[in-house]
Amino acid sequence: MSAFARVRAANPRPRNRPARYGVAIAVATVVVIVLIASSVLDYVFLDSIPGRTALYGLLAVALVALGTFIGVRAFDKDPAVRRRHLIRAGVLLGLGVLLWLLVIDLYVFTSSAGPGVAAICAAACLPTTAFGLFVVRRLDRNEKEPWRLVLVAFAWGAIVATSMVIWGESLWTAIAERVLVPGPGLDASTAFSAGLLEELANGTAVLLLFLVMRNEFDDVVDGIVYGAAVGLGFNFLESVAYMTNLYALFSPDGIGGYAAGFQWYSRQVLGLFFGHATYTALIGAGIGIARQLHSRRQQVIAIASGFLIAIAAHFSWDAWIQFFPIESSTLGLVEIHLRTLIMTGPFTALVIALLLSGLRYEGEALREQMAKEAAEGTGAILPAEVPILSNPWRRLGQRMQALSRRGLRAYFAMSRLQTAQLDLAMERWHRERQEIDTPLEAEYELRRRVLELRRQAGGLSAG
Amino acid sequence: MRAAPYDPVRTLYRTLLIFDVVAILILAAGLVEFLYFEPPGQHTGIKATIVGVFQYEPATNKTFGPDRSAFTRMQLFAALVDWKSLPPNITVDARWYDSFGSVVGKVGPGTPAQLASQPIVPIALPSTLKSNLPGQYMFVVERWANGVPVEILARRIILVERS
Repeated sequence: MSAFARVRAANPRPRNRPARYGVAIAVATVVVIVLIASSVLDYVFLDSIPGRTALYGLLAVALVALGTFIGVRAFDKDPAVRRRHLIRAGVLLGLGVLLWLLVIDLYVFTSSAGPGVAAICAAACLPTTAFGLFVVRRLDRNEKEPWRLVLVAFAWGAIVATSMVIWGESLWTAIAERVLVPGPGLDASTAFSAGLLEELANGTAVLLLFLVMRNEFDDVVDGIVYGAAVGLGFNFLESVAYMTNLYALFSPDGIGGYAAGFQWYSRQVLGLFFGHATYTALIGAGIGIARQLHSRRQQVIAIASGFLIAIAAHFSWDAWIQFFPIESSTLGLVEIHLRTLIMTGPFTALVIALLLSGLRYEGEALREQMAKEAAEGTGAILPAEVPILSNPWRRLGQRMQALSRRGLRAYFAMSRLQTAQLDLAMERWHRERQEIDTPLEAEYELRRRVLELRRQAGGLSAG
Repeated sequence: MRAAPYDPVRTLYRTLLIFDVVAILILAAGLVEFLYFEPPGQHTGIKATIVGVFQYEPATNKTFGPDRSAFTRMQLFAALVDWKSLPPNITVDARWYDSFGSVVGKVGPGTPAQLASQPIVPIALPSTLKSNLPGQYMFVVERWANGVPVEILARRIILVERS
């Protein structure tokens, strides 16, 4: 215990809920109001909801009802099991809302060519988007984000963000087309609307993760990962929408497949990491940097900066793409790649630069914290383990060694141990930087968990 | 006096601030572009008269049938403009835009007198397509100043149906 006593709580808030939860509730309330308003206005002014939507919607209603029932009952239960029931209720409610939004989205965005074409387009976009998510998650080589949060971010981009912007953009376009002279001025106005509304909607997801899931939001690297995941979600549904729409437009001339295929290539191959993924990753970078700043003023500036740069990047693409016309000859194939590289490349390069700097800094900090933990002799991290834990390839080698010696169970046991050790180092890092609001007991608990996992792994880590 | 320890997060923060400047320049350029093509204070109150939008026969360059707001994909159509309804000392043109914002038919720019012989403004079928693209088409009569269209004098929206 003497080793533990040397570590002091950086910013303990053991009893009260952190103030950031209040901000998160306010943001979530605004999102819900915007979603409800958008849905009602869509229904009244844009189009009516077909019968099949109501049919699918029944499942969403049932999920919401069941979630509410479990949620209400949870308060009659023993406090020990209450949390589990509340989580179940939350998951069901979330699934219900997502399902409903998805149904609305599918109707609004993909009805032009029918559900069959929309399904084929979605199937074509799934492998590329899944690849994008896999790569984005792997970017955080020191401490990968949990799949559940990466997928929540993706779902937000695909379902919630698209639902939030549809009414705003439609209204903006309708007014602009009736007031402005068609041409570059109108294009600039539409680009302002897309940059502003889409990035605000996408960035809200990263902001909520930052406010609510602080334990899984460590720094600029995590911000970029979550932001890119949101962007990939938005890009997924936008790709499906554009592909089905263009298929419907050009299929009577026999070139519907070509038009949809071209959209698939430009959005799912060429623009997979260059478009929305880059824009929202910039927002994530701003929020991730704010995570590690101490001054409230600087935090606000960093978050606003991420939004500002993302909006400008998005705007520049939408407004000025017309100045890079693509020829219909073979040269056009080169031009389309150059256009993406020139217009979005600098912003993607900024994301990569921030990511590499963040990874290097995070890696050095974790190595230092692991060395300190090893020196304290708590047994959670042994001196011989520090160089292994500091290197993803050596960590993999250690897991493979466990696999070859004791089988798959040993591999996973080692994986859990390594993850817990990295979590402990991360916790120490945040506490040393005084950027943590969990009590010191959380660190003790992490250490206790590492020791327990080490016992389960059976001393394999020393090898 | 001891120097503050180096914190890489501050370097990342400063990088963001530098790109803030780039972002502000981009958005400012967009605003300038918008104001150049949409200069304020251009409202004159002049109204052009679009007689109607009719089916069009390219062989004879004539319109026929009633004034309509919707057409099928196979039907060609044209707007009929009364150029005489405009003051003689302004520069104007008329354009068709498809749902992608591309110009698919135009007359002008010129003075109303110069355009008087071209009252019919048809849409042009894209050379690579057998029929019009479906969606919303916009016809506008625009007033020009300093080499760019600055004011809409008349506007009609036409729907080309999918089937």
